[in-house]
Amino acid sequence: MSTVSERTAGTTATAPARSSEPSRFSLQHPQSRIGWIRPRVWLPLVVMLAVLAGLWQWGAVTMPYLLPPLPDVGETLVSDLGYYLSNAMVTLMEAVVGLVIGFVAAFLIAVLISEVPLARRAIMPIAVVLNVTPLVAIAPALVVAFGFGPLPKLIITALICFFPILINTAVGLRSVPQQVLQVYRTIDASRIEMLAHLRIPNALPYIFAALRIVFPLSIIGAVVAELSASGSTGGLGTVISVASSMNQLAVVYAAIFVLAVMGVLLLGLVTLVERRVLHWHTSATD
Amino acid sequence: MVTSAVELTSVGKIYGYGATGMVALHDVDLAIEPGRFVSLIGPSGCGKSTLLRIVAGLEEADSGTARVHDVSIDEARAAKLIGLVPQTPALLPWLSVLGNVTLPQKVNRGASRRRERIGALSERAGAGQQPDMMQLLRRAGLEDAADKLPSQLSGGMQQRAAIVRAFGMQPDVLLMDEPFSALDEFTRESLQDQLLDLWDDLKTTVLFVTHSVSEAVRMSDTVVVMAPRPGRIVDVIDIDLPRPRNERMFAEMRFHDYEDQIRDSLQRAWRSADAA
Repeated sequence: MSTVSERTAGTTATAPARSSEPSRFSLQHPQSRIGWIRPRVWLPLVVMLAVLAGLWQWGAVTMPYLLPPLPDVGETLVSDLGYYLSNAMVTLMEAVVGLVIGFVAAFLIAVLISEVPLARRAIMPIAVVLNVTPLVAIAPALVVAFGFGPLPKLIITALICFFPILINTAVGLRSVPQQVLQVYRTIDASRIEMLAHLRIPNALPYIFAALRIVFPLSIIGAVVAELSASGSTGGLGTVISVASSMNQLAVVYAAIFVLAVMGVLLLGLVTLVERRVLHWHTSATD
Repeated sequence: MVTSAVELTSVGKIYGYGATGMVALHDVDLAIEPGRFVSLIGPSGCGKSTLLRIVAGLEEADSGTARVHDVSIDEARAAKLIGLVPQTPALLPWLSVLGNVTLPQKVNRGASRRRERIGALSERAGAGQQPDMMQLLRRAGLEDAADKLPSQLSGGMQQRAAIVRAFGMQPDVLLMDEPFSALDEFTRESLQDQLLDLWDDLKTTVLFVTHSVSEAVRMSDTVVVMAPRPGRIVDVIDIDLPRPRNERMFAEMRFHDYEDQIRDSLQRAWRSADAA
């Protein structure tokens, strides 16, 4: 079992342990909602943000060529909000569509390799090589091959999302406890039935763990692709590369800020869906 | 002549090869009449779990034949004649208790057709029909737990749900692999009573693996004593105690005589294995 793929799997296959404390189900949710009212919960973060903003301002004053003053960043964000939002939509679409492609491909291949050991031996080494190859290096080649349109961006995003989903899904599909499988094998449940009733539900916590990793990665993929294709028509990556070539630091940081907000929103979305789907699992209440 | 519910004919099983091979089962013959509660008892390594796994179709015998109601194990599995209660409850954490106990009815839907083709194997009333799972849960005292998740239940309740799940499959042969070994003594005794209670209604054939002498006597019509190196049957002891069984009976001399008889048999098997 100790193939290369298995060892790399350890880094991403992180579905948390199952609940042993029943009472947490009923208690955790209300607490985490009310919690934000108490200063003890939000004050540390606010103080930390204030300190960081202060340091930033001090840096902007002493090193004007490295950091733009925060008010400048705010100003360009407010006055050109439409510009940032329309470019954010371009990047978001590339990220999400690429992620969906990567997800579908990774899920299907995970099912295939968990059911067919031969396929596993054929595919896993290739997937590992693909994973360790820096995509930043592949991106320019893909742009040369597929032009400045959305296609190379979707490919890069799909590729970057592919591996964590593949590994986690494969581990989740295979980690149904032996004794559960034995109960259903004894009544001759078919492979499809085992997949639908046992393996795929069992893999869901692993899949969501992968999605938490992959949603931010998808934005990275889209931005890297945009940066490599310097003639692109849109996207926050393009905004950053154009603005930095013209020394518009405020615009660069405004775009970075929008990207960060996008990432947080996507992660929040995953958490929200996870809570609904995995209500039975401890990871959903964390 | 009534066909046996379970019939093993010179069954052998070896793990590994050649000199390092371990003989898990050697030339085991066993015939179990329908409707009997039979316990397999013996020290670890005597092959009692292997025997159960062979009847469940989870392992294949290297030699000899295993049959259930005079059809092969594979045919019996396809017709859902066999039910398994493993050592752990093995419930699905994402399904409610009710969802867990009804899931077996949703898989292998062709089984009832195959069951008919094999012929009316058991004369038990209602065999092959979909049982009312809520009623079974109520009988097992799990009515309030029906909508709860397994993680919200105690270990004893989880194992009870696993037993209800197995009875709900309406198997002709119910295989139980040390189902109570992980439970504390009080929970174990109450589950033993409940199991016998359910079994009295359904009278399915039970093959029950245990390492507790008193549990074997308490539950069984027949106790099969096994010994290791090589795994084999050394004694078959009929327990002639009336049913339903109750606490008072377990204090009687007869009960302890059976216990002593089984202990003697186990010790003789040990000594012969050590001498060999």
